[in-house]
Amino acid sequence: MSNPQVVEVKQSSLQKEEPRIGVYVCHCGLNIAGSVDCENVAKFAATLPNVVISRDNRYTCSDQGQDLIKKDIKEHKLNRVVVASCSPRLHEPTFRRACEEAGLNKYLFEMANIREQCSWVHLYDKQDATEKAKDLVKAAVAKVALLEPATESEVPIIPKALVIGGGVAGIQAALDLADTGYQVYLVEKEPSIGGKMAQIDKTFPTMDCSICILAPKMSDAGRHPNITLLTNSEVQDVKGYIGNFKVKVLKKPRYVTKDCSACGDCSKVCPVIMPNEFDVGLAVRHGIYTPFAQAVPSTYVIGMEHCLNKDGVLKCDKCIKACERKAIDFDMKPETVELEVGTIIVATGADVYDPTSLRNYGYTKFPNVITSLEFERLINAGGPSGGKLLRPSDMKIPETVAFVQCVGSRSDRGHLYCSNICCMNTIKDALLIKEHWPDTKIYVFYVDIRAFGKGFEDLYKRARKEGVIFIRGLPSDIYEERKTHNLWLVGENTLQNDVYKVNVGMVILSVGIEPRRDSDVIQKLLVLSRTNDGFFMEAHPKLRPVDTPTGGVFLAGCAEGPKDIKDSVTQASAAAARAGILMAKGKVTVEAITPKVLPENCKVCGLCTKVCPYNAVVLNKDLKHVEVIEAACAGCGTCGAECPFGALYMRHFTDDQIIAQIDALTEHDADKKIIAFCCNWCAYAGADFAGVSRMQYPTNVRIIRTMCSGRVAPKFVERAFVRGAAAVLVAGCHIGDCHYINANVQTQKRVERLWKKMERLGLNKERLQLLWASAAEGERVASKVREMQSIVQSVTKEEIEKSKKMTEKV
Amino acid sequence: MSTKKLWRKPLDIEKFKVPKAEICLIKDRCKGCGYCIQFCPRQVLEESEEINVRGVHPPKVVNPEKCTICGFCEAICPDFAIFVLEKPNEKKETKEAEKNERKK
Repeated sequence: MSNPQVVEVKQSSLQKEEPRIGVYVCHCGLNIAGSVDCENVAKFAATLPNVVISRDNRYTCSDQGQDLIKKDIKEHKLNRVVVASCSPRLHEPTFRRACEEAGLNKYLFEMANIREQCSWVHLYDKQDATEKAKDLVKAAVAKVALLEPATESEVPIIPKALVIGGGVAGIQAALDLADTGYQVYLVEKEPSIGGKMAQIDKTFPTMDCSICILAPKMSDAGRHPNITLLTNSEVQDVKGYIGNFKVKVLKKPRYVTKDCSACGDCSKVCPVIMPNEFDVGLAVRHGIYTPFAQAVPSTYVIGMEHCLNKDGVLKCDKCIKACERKAIDFDMKPETVELEVGTIIVATGADVYDPTSLRNYGYTKFPNVITSLEFERLINAGGPSGGKLLRPSDMKIPETVAFVQCVGSRSDRGHLYCSNICCMNTIKDALLIKEHWPDTKIYVFYVDIRAFGKGFEDLYKRARKEGVIFIRGLPSDIYEERKTHNLWLVGENTLQNDVYKVNVGMVILSVGIEPRRDSDVIQKLLVLSRTNDGFFMEAHPKLRPVDTPTGGVFLAGCAEGPKDIKDSVTQASAAAARAGILMAKGKVTVEAITPKVLPENCKVCGLCTKVCPYNAVVLNKDLKHVEVIEAACAGCGTCGAECPFGALYMRHFTDDQIIAQIDALTEHDADKKIIAFCCNWCAYAGADFAGVSRMQYPTNVRIIRTMCSGRVAPKFVERAFVRGAAAVLVAGCHIGDCHYINANVQTQKRVERLWKKMERLGLNKERLQLLWASAAEGERVASKVREMQSIVQSVTKEEIEKSKKMTEKV
Repeated sequence: MSTKKLWRKPLDIEKFKVPKAEICLIKDRCKGCGYCIQFCPRQVLEESEEINVRGVHPPKVVNPEKCTICGFCEAICPDFAIFVLEKPNEKKETKEAEKNERKK
């Protein structure tokens, strides 16, 4: 990884001078003033050191409120501003902008959260809530005095994009970006682009022929001057950061050159035959083949693992002899292509659930139990049966057919989630059968029919009208008549409280969608997170649905979650637009919360390089000190917490600033207080959510915000205890959901170490609590505080005195 | 696609006629170098236990149905002791033979 080209942005910066702080306490109508005496808080703030002016007003975020701050900055020569109002997650950008407009560096602003984390959660205790608000303002004033102006650096963005996955989502994203004018590399693992959509016969709800609408897009992608197609290729390595990714792609050999005219003469003479993956094994292909007729590129490919020449000795030359254009080249070697791109779109798609493990359905045991994907190939005119729905056992068209829904979905025997597409796919399939063979009797066994999309309900009604029988209740068992290979389905009709036993000629298991089995490869390469379901997680489920926590990486299609073609295409265009925004701007600013290295303190021990989730802390070449690659750094601060020598100076969350906050909060009545360290993304947001939901909890908790729980150094916790705090809470994202990949694993390790130390010193280790809470788990935060209340009450004076000597060496 | 196991017998497998091979050995020419056994891409041959006039073990055909008539054994044999012919297709007979086998 090389150092990024960093362009400094000029901003008005201040010399170190005596802090002149302005404090603004917001009433927020009655939202805050209803349970906090704001006037009193403002008066109190005026007594704090360095505070030049302290005001309270009804709405600080209004234009008048902001203008007042701007005016004061000029008139009173303020060089620091504190606003005590709502959560910084809400209005910090607003006030930072106001400060900037008045010529004050935006990093010299701090907020005290007295709404979500004070007035709203202590609605009925005005006195204590006011005391808490005062504490929070005091902590903010203590921190703001130590804040330093910072300039944000800019990183240029390479105007090229990489799209991983050549299914319909990848194709759409690549085409959109290429049409905008950016160079796109489209990487596909299989020999042809097209993905799962190419295998499907018709699409719901319009009953368009799938390949007929996909093939033009595929050839557009193949021909587009801005798209470089890399099929039979896999992403091997990704280095770098937003705007400057260095990607290595392994291009596996096709053993057929571009001279191939796709005449198929080679295939005819090839002695190797095997099941074709494209037809889910229902048809035969040769060792040299094209996956399907519309494949892009149309160049043939040799599946070397089955070729007679796989040992590198040319034993069989039948294809070479048959090829008139001399396009076959067994000397082709795998090559590694190195790409430099600015943005990456992950469109790796999904796998189809394999129902073999559901033994009661008899898939692979009974030949006439097929999956919905196999059905698609059977009903497809270009498929192995020429569009006839043939029973694999006797090659006859069945008279009765049963669909079984939710196979591998919505059950703890498969996946817990709904696979989104199977209901409509079955309805479409049922209608297709009715279209070709109207007399076929069709049963659909379902749990719920979810026909939620545009035109879906109409299609469902049409299926009912055409006589498809819908029975609620999945079969508990499927068994086969030995002679006829017909199948019996037994189960409970839950609408009629009745048991059914149905005899059919063929069973189609409506299988769900599951995450790619090799998702972890891309996950690791691009440092993405995955949800419990295993699909890639978006940066925000509502407002940033195609972004990932990794800057410059976007999601499209089923990689993000099960979805139909329309949604995949929509998301692909959205991802292309998001990537396009970055590349059109040509540069990105990095928030100035990254660490600075103090070389004189660094002992080159390398601890920080090991804990950095982004590999952004590296040893420099002459091994004198570590270096931070600013553009790769996300600012979690876990390196700073790990460094025993104070060599990493975490800007905007420095040790001094956090300790100043702790000291301010523990100045009075520390023995009754809980000091909580909450990460910005989950626990702090969860505490905000508790406020928004008006969940009430004890007033004695004081929350300090850090970007990540990984920033919480053991010395902060110790400091709180030494200052006499009754209890300390460290709270972060759930393990696996960390906003900084896995930085919270370090949090856990540090807290466990502290627990051991407390045990050794004879302290009650329950006084230090660790909590994982997501942004949606307000109640979890609130109930933790309630639970800790009893610990606070049980802590004796002797215990507190004992813990005050915690850091003293024995 | 490639990660999933394919277990079904392809529906159109009957349409693909794989020529049947007749592997001819001239055992007494063999000097037992074993090239044909080693290099056969389909493991059709194995060393036999009999001893020929040159005092070596000539190969024997163990998996004739696997042979694709690539002819590599023929090309690599230093002593011109092996060659492969294409059998005329006797589909019906083989089917009957299969049936008989099943009965057994």
